[in-house]
Amino acid sequence: MKLWTLIPELIVGGLCLALVPIAGWVKGRWRYSIGIAAIIGLLVAIAFTARMLSWSPQMVMEIYAVDGLANVFKLLIELGAVITLLLLLSYFRGHTQLAHAPLAVLFVALGGLGLSSSMDLTLIILFLQMISFSSYVLAALVRSDGRALEASLKYFIFGAVCLAIMAYGLTFLYGMTGSLDLRVIGNALEGRDRMWIALTLGLILVGYGFEITMVPFHAWAPDVFAGATAPVSGFVAVVPKIAAFAGLVRLFLYALPNGLIGWPWMIAGLAAITMTFGNLAALRQQGLKRLLAYSSIAQAGYILMALAVLQRSPMATAAATYYLAAYLFMNLGAFAVVAQVERSVGTDQIEEIGGMGRSAPMVAAVFALSLLSLAGIPPLAGFAGKVYLLQATIDGNMLWLAIIGAINMVIGLFYYIRVIGEMYWRPAKHPFPLITGVGFTGAYAVLLFGTLALGIWPAPAMAVTGNVSQLVK
Amino acid sequence: MPILLEITIWLPFVTGLLALLVPTRRAKPIQALGLAGALVTMAVALTLAFRYAAGSPGLQFRTTLPWIPSLNATYDMAVDGLSLPLIVLTCILLVAVMAYSLREADRPKGFTFLFLLMATGLNGLFAAQDLLLFYVFFEISLVPLYFIIGIWGHENRRYAAMKFFLYTRFGSLAMLLSFLALYLSVRPHTFSLAQIAAAHPFAGGGSGAALVLLGLMLGYGVKLPVVPLHNWLPDAHVEAPTEGSVMLAGALLKMGGYGMLRIMLATVPDAVRQAGWVLVTIAVVSVVYGALAALGQRDFKRLVAYTSINHMGYVLLGAAIYAMSSDPRVRALALTGATYQMVSHGLLTGGMFFMVGILQEKTDTRDLDRLGGLIGRAPLYSLLLALLAFGSLGLPGLSGFVAEFQVIGATVSLSLLAAVITVIGLLINTGVYLKVIAKLLMGAAPGGICPMTEPTPMRLVVVGSLTALSLLLGIAPMLLVQIIRGATEISAVL
Repeated sequence: MKLWTLIPELIVGGLCLALVPIAGWVKGRWRYSIGIAAIIGLLVAIAFTARMLSWSPQMVMEIYAVDGLANVFKLLIELGAVITLLLLLSYFRGHTQLAHAPLAVLFVALGGLGLSSSMDLTLIILFLQMISFSSYVLAALVRSDGRALEASLKYFIFGAVCLAIMAYGLTFLYGMTGSLDLRVIGNALEGRDRMWIALTLGLILVGYGFEITMVPFHAWAPDVFAGATAPVSGFVAVVPKIAAFAGLVRLFLYALPNGLIGWPWMIAGLAAITMTFGNLAALRQQGLKRLLAYSSIAQAGYILMALAVLQRSPMATAAATYYLAAYLFMNLGAFAVVAQVERSVGTDQIEEIGGMGRSAPMVAAVFALSLLSLAGIPPLAGFAGKVYLLQATIDGNMLWLAIIGAINMVIGLFYYIRVIGEMYWRPAKHPFPLITGVGFTGAYAVLLFGTLALGIWPAPAMAVTGNVSQLVK
Repeated sequence: MPILLEITIWLPFVTGLLALLVPTRRAKPIQALGLAGALVTMAVALTLAFRYAAGSPGLQFRTTLPWIPSLNATYDMAVDGLSLPLIVLTCILLVAVMAYSLREADRPKGFTFLFLLMATGLNGLFAAQDLLLFYVFFEISLVPLYFIIGIWGHENRRYAAMKFFLYTRFGSLAMLLSFLALYLSVRPHTFSLAQIAAAHPFAGGGSGAALVLLGLMLGYGVKLPVVPLHNWLPDAHVEAPTEGSVMLAGALLKMGGYGMLRIMLATVPDAVRQAGWVLVTIAVVSVVYGALAALGQRDFKRLVAYTSINHMGYVLLGAAIYAMSSDPRVRALALTGATYQMVSHGLLTGGMFFMVGILQEKTDTRDLDRLGGLIGRAPLYSLLLALLAFGSLGLPGLSGFVAEFQVIGATVSLSLLAAVITVIGLLINTGVYLKVIAKLLMGAAPGGICPMTEPTPMRLVVVGSLTALSLLLGIAPMLLVQIIRGATEISAVL
C-alpha cells in the first residue's frame, strides 16, 4: 500500500486525533491554538494536494481512488475549511466554542476528503455519515440557543432518515451486482431490470439530495441555516455540498454508464425544479441566512444542470467543478458578511444591514460583490461559472434546460439586488462600528481575491479544475 | 498604436479606482480628478479618431491577448468605422457628465467611480471583437447605472432601478444563450466574432438561426429599446438623476444598436433577412409608437424618454434594410444612417436631458403645463433648448436630419409603405418638439411666476458643446460618414 498517496487525509485525520484531547482542557487565549493548528495543518494538506494534481490516477487498496477528480475536490474542501476556520476564530472570540468548533470542521473536512475518493459503497455511506454527524454538532455549537438546538435536532432526524434510505438503496446495488465496487457495478448493471435500477437510483438520490439540498430533500436547509451561527451555515452550505457532488459525479460516471434508464432526464428535471423552487422561495425571505439558504438551493440546481449532461458533454464535469469553486468563494463571502453582522448586532434580519454602504463601505462592498457574483454578473466568479455551466448544458443537447437556467438567473437577480439595495439606499439602521477581527479580514481577502480572480482571469483556475477529467479506469 | 485604444478603455476605470482611494471626504478634489481623467480619455479618443485611417477597411488598433484559452476566448480589442464614433461619443458624454456634476455633493466618490466604470464598460463593449468579452462589458456597463439610479435617483428610484436591472438582465441572458449557441456551432469552438462570421454556421437560416436571432433580438431589443420591450425605459429615465439619464440615453442605448449592427448582422445575416419584415414592422411600430406616446406626455423627462424609442427605431430599421437589400449602395446607406443616428441621438438627447435636469433644478417641476415663457427669463437656455429640439425633430442643418434622411432613403428603395409610415412617425415627432417649444419657451407661465434663471456658465458650455457638435455633424456630415464608410464596406464583404 502506498501510504504517501493518503497524505492529506493523514494530516487532517491526525489533527483530529491530536486536537480532540487538547481542546478539552485549553483555557483562555490558548483556545486559539486549536483553530490555528487546524489552519496550519490544512494549509500543509493543501500544499500536498496541489502537488498531487500532476500525479497519474491510481487506486489505493482497490477501494479508494486518488485521481484528478478526487484531488481537485479535496483542494476545494480544504480551502473551504480553512476559510471557515478563519471566520470562526473571529466569530467565537472569547467563547468556549472557539476551541470546539474547529474540531467539528476538521471532521467534516475529513469526511469530505474521504467521500471524494471513495469507489466503494461502504466507504461512501461511511464518509457521508461522518460529514453529516459532524455537521449536526456544528449546528448545535451554541448550546444555550434554543433555535440552534432545534435546528440541530431537525438536521439530525432529517439526515438520519435520508441517509438510512440511501444505505438501503446501496444494498440493492450490491444485491443486483454482487459487488461494492462502483466500476464493477457499472459493468454489471447494464441489462438488469430497469425498474429495479430506477428504484435504486431513486433511493440513493434521497441521501445525496439531502446533502446537496436538492428539492424535495432540501427542507432541512432553511431552518438549519437560520438556526445555526452564520459561519457554520456558510460552511454547511458549501463543504458538504462539494463533497456530495464529488460522490454524485463518481456514482454517475462509474456506476451508471451511457445514460442508463434515462437518468440524465431525471437529473435535468430535478435541476429545473430545484433552481426554480429555490429562487422563488428566496424572493420573500426576511432573514439573510434563510435567504442565502434558498439561494444555495437554487445554486445547487444550477450545478445539477451540468450533472445532467455529465455523459453527454465532455466539458460537463469540469464545468460543475469550476462552478463549485466559484460557489465556494462567493457563497462563503456572503455568509462571512452575515456572520460579521450577526456577531455585531445579534440578528440577521435584512433591515439590519440598512445603510451599511455608508457606515461600513468595505464590508458592504464584499457583500455586494459576493451577491452580484451569485447572481452571475461579470466579471465575477459566478459569471464565468454560469457561462461554463450553460455552455456544457447546451453542448449536451439540453437547450431547454439552459433556457430554464437563464430564466432562473433573472429571478435570482431580483432578491440579490434587493439585499444590495438595502445596504446602499436605506438610511443607516445602526451607526455601526461592526465588530472586526483578523479572521474576518483574512477571510474577506481570500474570498474577494477568489471571487474576482475566477471571474476576470479564469484560465489558471480552469487549468486546475480541468484535472477532474483524469479518472481511474 | 493599439495602446491608445487600451488607454481609452481602461483609463476611466483606473481614474475611478484612484477617486475611490483618495483619502479625502471633500467633494472637490474627487470631482476634479474625475473630470481630469475624463478629459484625458477624451483627448486620447480624439487622437485615436485622427489617427484612424478612414480609407482602409478592417480593424485597426488591434490588441489580442489570451484570456481563457480552454474556452478559446481571447482579449481581442480593435475599432473600425462602426465602433470608433461610438467610443468618441462615449468619451465626450463622459466629460460632459463629469463637468455637469461638479456641483453635486452627495457621495462624490461613488458617483465619480460608477460613471467612470460605466465608461470603461462602454468603450470595452464597442471595441470587443470576442463575444464573451462583449458580454462581460455589456454587463459591466449596466451595473453602474443600477446603482446610480438607486442611490441618486428621485422618489421612486428603487422600483425603477430594479425594473431596469431585471429587464436588461433578462435581455442579456437571452443574448448569452445565443452567444453560446454560436460558440458551439463552429468547430473548433470559438468566441471570436471574426471567426464565427467567417465560418457562417447558420448559413441559409432555419430554425436554429431563428432561435439565435430571437435571443440576440431580446438582448438588443430590450436595450435599444423597441416596442414591446421598452417598458423599463420611461421609468428608468424619470427616476434617474440627470447625469444618469444622459449616459443612459446618450451611450447605453447604443449598446443595443451597436450589437444589432455588429453582431446580429455579422453572425446570422440570413436569419435577419428571412425575418426582415418582422424586424421592419417592429422598427416602424417603435418609430410611430415612440412619437405618439411622447405626444401624450406632460412630464418633460418622460416625453424625451419616449422620443428615444422613436429615434432608436431608425437603427433597427437600418439594420433590417441592410440585411434585406442586395444593392450595396442601399446597404451602405442604411448602415451609415443607422450609425449616424446613434451618434446624433447621443448628442441631441444627451443635451436634451441636461436641459431637463437644469429646468427641474431651477423650477422644481418638469410639468409642461406649469411652465412657460422661458425665453424672456433665460434666453441662452432657451436658444440651446430650441436648437436641440429642432435637431431632434430632424431639421436640416443638424445631425438628426442627416441620419434619418439616410435611413428613410434606404427604406424607400425596399418598401414605400414602410418609408411612408416612418415619415408619419417623423411628423408626429416634429409635433412633439414644436409643442415643447411652444409651451416652454413661448407664452407665459400658467399661474404667473416661473422661477427660471440662466444656468451656470459651465453648464451652458457643456450643453452648448453637445449642440455645436450636432450642428457640425449636420453641416459637414462627411466628417463622420467617411469614418463609418470603411465599416460598411467590410461588412458588405461578409
